[in-house]
Amino acid sequence: MSRRELDLDRALADLAASLEFPPTPDLAAAVTARLDQPPVAARPAPAARGRRWLGGLTGWRRLAVAGLAVVLLAVAVLAASPGTREAVARRLGLRGIGVELGGNPPPTVTTAPGERLDLGLGERVSLEEARRRVDFPVLVPQTGGLERPDAVFVSEAVPPGGRVDLVWRARPGLPASGFTDAGLLITEFQGQTTPEFIKKVAVAGQVEFVEVDGEPAYWFSGEPHFFTYLDRAGRFREEQTRLAGNTLIWQRGELTLRLEGELSKEEALRIAESMH
Amino acid sequence: MEGRPLDEQELVEQARGGDARAYEVLVRRYQDLAFRTACVIAGGSADAEDAAQEGFVKAWYALPRFRAGSPFRPWLLAIVANEARNRRRSGRRQDDLALRVAEDRPSGDAAPSPEAAALATEQRLLLLAAMGRLGENDRQVIACRYFLELSEAEMAAALGCRPGTVKSRLSRALDRLRAVLAEQGAAAAPTTLPGGDR
Repeated sequence: MSRRELDLDRALADLAASLEFPPTPDLAAAVTARLDQPPVAARPAPAARGRRWLGGLTGWRRLAVAGLAVVLLAVAVLAASPGTREAVARRLGLRGIGVELGGNPPPTVTTAPGERLDLGLGERVSLEEARRRVDFPVLVPQTGGLERPDAVFVSEAVPPGGRVDLVWRARPGLPASGFTDAGLLITEFQGQTTPEFIKKVAVAGQVEFVEVDGEPAYWFSGEPHFFTYLDRAGRFREEQTRLAGNTLIWQRGELTLRLEGELSKEEALRIAESMH
Repeated sequence: MEGRPLDEQELVEQARGGDARAYEVLVRRYQDLAFRTACVIAGGSADAEDAAQEGFVKAWYALPRFRAGSPFRPWLLAIVANEARNRRRSGRRQDDLALRVAEDRPSGDAAPSPEAAALATEQRLLLLAAMGRLGENDRQVIACRYFLELSEAEMAAALGCRPGTVKSRLSRALDRLRAVLAEQGAAAAPTTLPGGDR
């Protein structure tokens, strides 16, 4: 440390010793009064199948936009009893994802069509290149001929640690969605240092709690969803395109993963559990 | 309670098992830290109280996902700080933060002369005023380091950034603080707190 640095360091330490924070309220009493249930909530009722997803998108790049689901927000209302909603609200909360059901969407900035390329979509690279660029091991399904994604996108900037989007074309067993020839999208990122990177997710359809390899997972189905994501400036932006469909979100160690496709819950879970 | 006080890991384990009394001990232990961190980030004590309370409740329900053996403080701070960020109103200064400069040091060696005490207070006020002129991110990282005395891992958790970037963030913030102080210079500087006139 230089002399000047040392001086400032000392001055701030001196200031700190003189500061008074407001008195801490008695949080313990207020908090314990609210702990009416053990830290594991009951499972709500299972959900129904959903339908289309990513309707109207074309091309890989647009699919990459869908990959921004990582940073996304699906907003609408959950049809459920208040008791279920409460249980849901308690259970939801994978690393990197904060979920709120129902309620109003936060204010958003609507994205003009030409603005899409400016969103940090990520760069199309090979799988090997993606693995070199991000801080986490990229997992790939080891089932049903999905071992090699047809396209891979990487973004190093957002969220911290990077994000990878894997895309597969439609094929037997992987039905085409409402756009081009894509059938499956998997997004991976590390969520542990940004507890609510995906700000909120709520669905007009259904949400069901499931497990992938013993870790909590959430299965969203139904429509419509519309997605909003946090841009680099920290603003919420709404994608014009409506995305609807079936989504599985789960975590594996420090990774948070998101799978979207015109798949049944069982198919999605089988793919998810095969990922290494 | 008899015997030695339970250590953090034991308390966390008991709380994970559903023991609300163990969790209450943890809340008491960390409520100052959580509330003050929320103050730094939310910028107001009412919002901070709300954020800290909500953060503790959310952390309770999130305990099953806490990795056994990992440090509890950064994990808790990440949750509380996130609640605080959600409550922060954009553009607000830390005016209600009530980081008051105490007129007298609570304890001390020999009492300083009145002149020396006034000079010290003046310097602290200048420093605080300079901090008030920094951007929100710079203020927060400096406050986390010096006012809350957080570790790097805890700072990263509270600020929602990667641990590897904490040092450089702090260093850049201090550079800017130094620049503001240089600008203030020896000129007649305000002796009010930032936003203190509101």
